[in-house]
Amino acid sequence: MKPTSTDNLKPKWRGFSSTHSKIRIGVPIIAWLFLLIIIPICIMLVTSFYVKVGSVVIKKISLANYLEFFRNSIYLPIFFRTLLLALMVSLTSILLGYPLAYLVSRKVKRFRNQLYMLVIVPLWVSYLVRIVAWRTILGRVGVLNTILLSIKIIDKPLSIFIYSPFAVYVALIYIALPFVFISIFNSLEKIPENLLDASSDLGANSINTFRYVILPLSMPGVISGFTLAFVIALGDYIIPQQLGGLNGMMFGNLIVTQFGYAYNWPLGAALGFIMFTVAVIILLISQKFGSSEGFLE
Amino acid sequence: MNVRETEIQLFHLTKRFGDFIAVNNVNIEIHHGEFFSLLGPSGCGKTTTLRMIAGLEEPSDGQIFLAGEDVTYKPAYLRNVNTVFQDYALFPHMTVEENIYFPLKMKKINRSRAQPMIEEALTLVNMTGFGKRLPQKLSGGQRQRIALARSLVNRPRALLLDEPLGALDFKLRIAMQKVLKDIQKNVDITFIYVTHDQTEAITMSDRICVMREGIIHQIATPDEIYNSPASPFVASFIGDMNFLDGQVIDQQGDTIITNVEGYQITSSRLMGTFSVGDSVVTCVRPEKICLVKVCGNEFMNKFENHFQSSIHRIVFRGNDYEITLIFGQSEIRLIESASDFNDKKIGEQLFIGFRKEDVTTYLKECKKVCDYETNLN
Repeated sequence: MKPTSTDNLKPKWRGFSSTHSKIRIGVPIIAWLFLLIIIPICIMLVTSFYVKVGSVVIKKISLANYLEFFRNSIYLPIFFRTLLLALMVSLTSILLGYPLAYLVSRKVKRFRNQLYMLVIVPLWVSYLVRIVAWRTILGRVGVLNTILLSIKIIDKPLSIFIYSPFAVYVALIYIALPFVFISIFNSLEKIPENLLDASSDLGANSINTFRYVILPLSMPGVISGFTLAFVIALGDYIIPQQLGGLNGMMFGNLIVTQFGYAYNWPLGAALGFIMFTVAVIILLISQKFGSSEGFLE
Repeated sequence: MNVRETEIQLFHLTKRFGDFIAVNNVNIEIHHGEFFSLLGPSGCGKTTTLRMIAGLEEPSDGQIFLAGEDVTYKPAYLRNVNTVFQDYALFPHMTVEENIYFPLKMKKINRSRAQPMIEEALTLVNMTGFGKRLPQKLSGGQRQRIALARSLVNRPRALLLDEPLGALDFKLRIAMQKVLKDIQKNVDITFIYVTHDQTEAITMSDRICVMREGIIHQIATPDEIYNSPASPFVASFIGDMNFLDGQVIDQQGDTIITNVEGYQITSSRLMGTFSVGDSVVTCVRPEKICLVKVCGNEFMNKFENHFQSSIHRIVFRGNDYEITLIFGQSEIRLIESASDFNDKKIGEQLFIGFRKEDVTTYLKECKKVCDYETNLN
């Protein structure tokens, strides 16, 4: 008897082998991708090379919009500030989200599902409503000031909470946290219990088990959580608009301005494409590091 | 067996999960260097017992001693015993070498000093050259050997094996049984082996502990377990057995005569004390029954129990035949090797014989529990 069956444990997908069924399944997916994602991006890319002169868009290929991005002193500082803020938001979300996910996933036995739902519940509420809620928390006569006043830490309401990069930072973390939580929680849930048994059996105390087994195996979740938070923070323009004030302006707001107020679609498209490229680079990097996902499949 | 120092002692060990008693007042003494098996059907508490020895489960009651030291409430990572898990539990993000290095790293042995130990462990399980691979690139049998190397590299006082071969196919399992036995001889470490496979337990163990529903039925050598099972459950769980209901009609010293289906069966292997009129279960192993065409004097002298009977069913099993004969209202099975089979036919009248030493008798109450168990399964 030849040892065949145990050596090759990968299942073979017999259902998809014939060319006919490949086409039947593939065509709608590709058509859908083209229609909803690839074609709009191409249109945006082409538009970004046009130039607006006065109120007319000249359909001639030129790098003028991209040069404008590098030359005009408005764009680059806000661009880098946005990147920095997105980085800080995603790092903070992970620092806050990891312990939370770890506690809910590993340490809590009773009310585990209820806790999970509590973290997820904000996602059911409209995004705009949640941001307006932050206005009532951080505003001059908001919840935070009222509390600080009533316990006499301050004698008059502070206006530093709202209309500042800080407000944007806090609200973005609030928006990104459930996504980071879900992503880390799922990767923690995937770690088989017996690996933790094995670790403890082989002489690792709980700190070492966390460091050498749980943390590395939950890294895919951390990375995908980081990516999600980063992309959410990078593209958001409602939060800076509602809570950011003048100093809290972000790159997304610049793009909105070009499309909505200046009616300079080609410049808007160019700025949009720059941000799109950043997001793609982040995704590619995270995919490279996140490829260890396969360990626990 | 020579007397050796006690390695592990379980003292009134009990584990309850809510109302369910998984392990009920278990007392076991395991000697140094022994290959000790915990055998029983699933849910008998054997794995729970093992996990308590490993420190992965806290006992509800009782004590565990490891080399004389009370380790009952010592956490798993401080106990000098290692476990080989059923599904290997290799760390998927570490290479084979890193997996084996893990227990050494926990002992703060640096990598360069650990390297020869890792190599030695790989040699022990015959897996040299696989160090740089990831576990998921290995086959089931290879993973099992790496798990073994990882558990042995630290030279624990005892190695606990939780159905380690359960996930392997038949051929590989037989091969791994030999590997395990050889390794155990080489390293001189106590092995505690959990299995539900009676053949595995019998072929590999020095001693076997048969458990059911959290209770120990018998602790003995494979030979004793097979030849004088302490309860009908042990008799039915290990090997094949004919069970016949009867009543004691006479008792002479260590021999009783039982009325079974109108036949008189003499038995000298008595499990319990009997008096005339007791309802009993009479057991005889199929391979202990001799089948002949003519009942001569020699046959009658050799076998205290000899009856005429007719063949009811014949099943060919490759190297032998299982023949079922009519025995009053019930049946009796026996095994006949292919060379002795000699073209026997269904309905043929023949003589069967078996010695009184090969007939084990239990009180009826035990058998009822056993039947109940079989019905549950």
